[in-house]
Amino acid sequence: MSASTVKAPSDKVPLDLELPAPRARAGRRVSPAVGLAGPATLFVLLALVAPLALMFRYSLNRFVPGQLMVEALTLANYQKFFTDSFYQEVLGTTVWVSALSTALCLLAGFPVAYLLVRHTGPKWKPRLLILIILPLLMGNAVRTAAWMVILGDKGLFNASLQVLGLSPLKLMYTPTAVVIGLVSVMLPFMIVTLQSVIEGIDENLESAAASLGASHGVVLRRVVLPLALPGILAGTMLCFILSMNAYATPVLIGGPSFHMMAPTVYQQVAKAMNWPFGAALAFVLMAVTLVLTTTANVLVQRRYRRWSE
Amino acid sequence: MGHLAIRRLYAGISVLVLGFVLLPLVVIVWVSFFENRILSFPPTGYSLSWYVRAWEQEAFRNGFLTSVETALCAVAISLALGVPASLALVRYRFPGRDAIQTLLLAPMIVPGIVGGAALFIAFIELEVLLDMDVSGTLGGLLIAHGLIALPWTVRLVTAGLAGANRSCEEAAASLGAAPLLVFWRVTLPMIRPAIVAAALFSFVISFIDLEKSIFLVGPGRTTLQIALVSYLEWNLDSTVAAVAAVQILIIGTLLIVSDRYAKLARAF
Repeated sequence: MSASTVKAPSDKVPLDLELPAPRARAGRRVSPAVGLAGPATLFVLLALVAPLALMFRYSLNRFVPGQLMVEALTLANYQKFFTDSFYQEVLGTTVWVSALSTALCLLAGFPVAYLLVRHTGPKWKPRLLILIILPLLMGNAVRTAAWMVILGDKGLFNASLQVLGLSPLKLMYTPTAVVIGLVSVMLPFMIVTLQSVIEGIDENLESAAASLGASHGVVLRRVVLPLALPGILAGTMLCFILSMNAYATPVLIGGPSFHMMAPTVYQQVAKAMNWPFGAALAFVLMAVTLVLTTTANVLVQRRYRRWSE
Repeated sequence: MGHLAIRRLYAGISVLVLGFVLLPLVVIVWVSFFENRILSFPPTGYSLSWYVRAWEQEAFRNGFLTSVETALCAVAISLALGVPASLALVRYRFPGRDAIQTLLLAPMIVPGIVGGAALFIAFIELEVLLDMDVSGTLGGLLIAHGLIALPWTVRLVTAGLAGANRSCEEAAASLGAAPLLVFWRVTLPMIRPAIVAAALFSFVISFIDLEKSIFLVGPGRTTLQIALVSYLEWNLDSTVAAVAAVQILIIGTLLIVSDRYAKLARAF
């Protein structure tokens, strides 16, 4: 804005520019921003950063059954994680379930986002967006309850199969059911992220490509996809992180013998009261998520650069 | 493929996807009206008795009241901390501004279970240190819920402030209005939609939280989401469906109202 360069900053008195502004006369005063942002900053430091730091310190402590926690400086908890095949398997399950759910979200979400931006009128688009976002905020407990009703042995899905004369399927307490549940949580996130990026793509580029004879598939692959890549990456990361940390869906739909990381963290910290190991699990979960998402990000960006050259 | 065929293909996929996303909500509301004692399809008839039974269940009734109480306090905390902080982030330039912005949005990024576990451990250590109850009290729950609501408030209010015309504030200041008066009479009316949306959104985010609360609820002080999950571990009947239907109605209303003030799609 050019106007702002002409005007004096608002914390000075703009009417008598000849005189030094009162603030300046008083010497270097503390900016009001400190008072405004201070409380919130302090709150997040105390309620989030400090507890995380404490938990990280505890992940280096030793757990002695009966004594709970013994002060130490050891990597034994992390070692236990990487040597115990049970926890390796838990992490493996978490990663592949998350990757599969994220891929399904991308496949199912892209057409919806594209339709919303390119083929939906201004009257219907906001309404459809609300319909997509509403289920997202209904709470994991409610949504999971609903999937239990649908996928249960005598649930809606199997009852419908029976009406059609088909034999019932065992869905509840299977990884398939967990993936279905996770996809239904994350799809709205994916659609909303994708649609905001596709909205920024100039439609003329697509028309130009099409008028030069490119089929819709080619337009998608050569024009839309490269331009939408930042959004695709953002949506994919978001969905992957969300499902890596999913709690309610694996616990209730996966059943007692299906293990993912977040429920295991809860089990260790709150039930087994093994804080050092639970803490180590939490940090392994965050580290693995971070490493996987950054690697994917770098790989895709590199590939994208080759694409555009 | 012709243009029309492509469009139909997209529309077809979209209808399927939308149906998939909405299916759980539709089914759970439908089931809440079933007459059957044992949940089965198709229903033998319809009745409203599950709603009465849900209200008679102490866990659900108390859980609901605790959740409303907690969510209202979370709104107060997140507005009291988040609105001034947003003002600082948008209206002032100061060292460490980007870092503080990242920090204030961090509660949204740190996984709920990890943050919850960390708070749980910190609260218990605090209890030992101060010799008083923290975890399992309303205070502990409020800190956690204020924390998860704060980033959404900061996000919505900073967006509102960025869109508000700054010259109005400057005009008021140049006419001699004190900073507080400028905020109260000029800035606040301009960003009121963003604040209303932030309040409604904070309420919803707190009300549906499960991952953080699960560490922090104590005996006799359980939020509705925790009550639902513990009930679901052993039973599945239309009582849960009735509770879910009420929750869908409340949250749906709040979100549709909030969408009038600030577009929901932009909050993500």
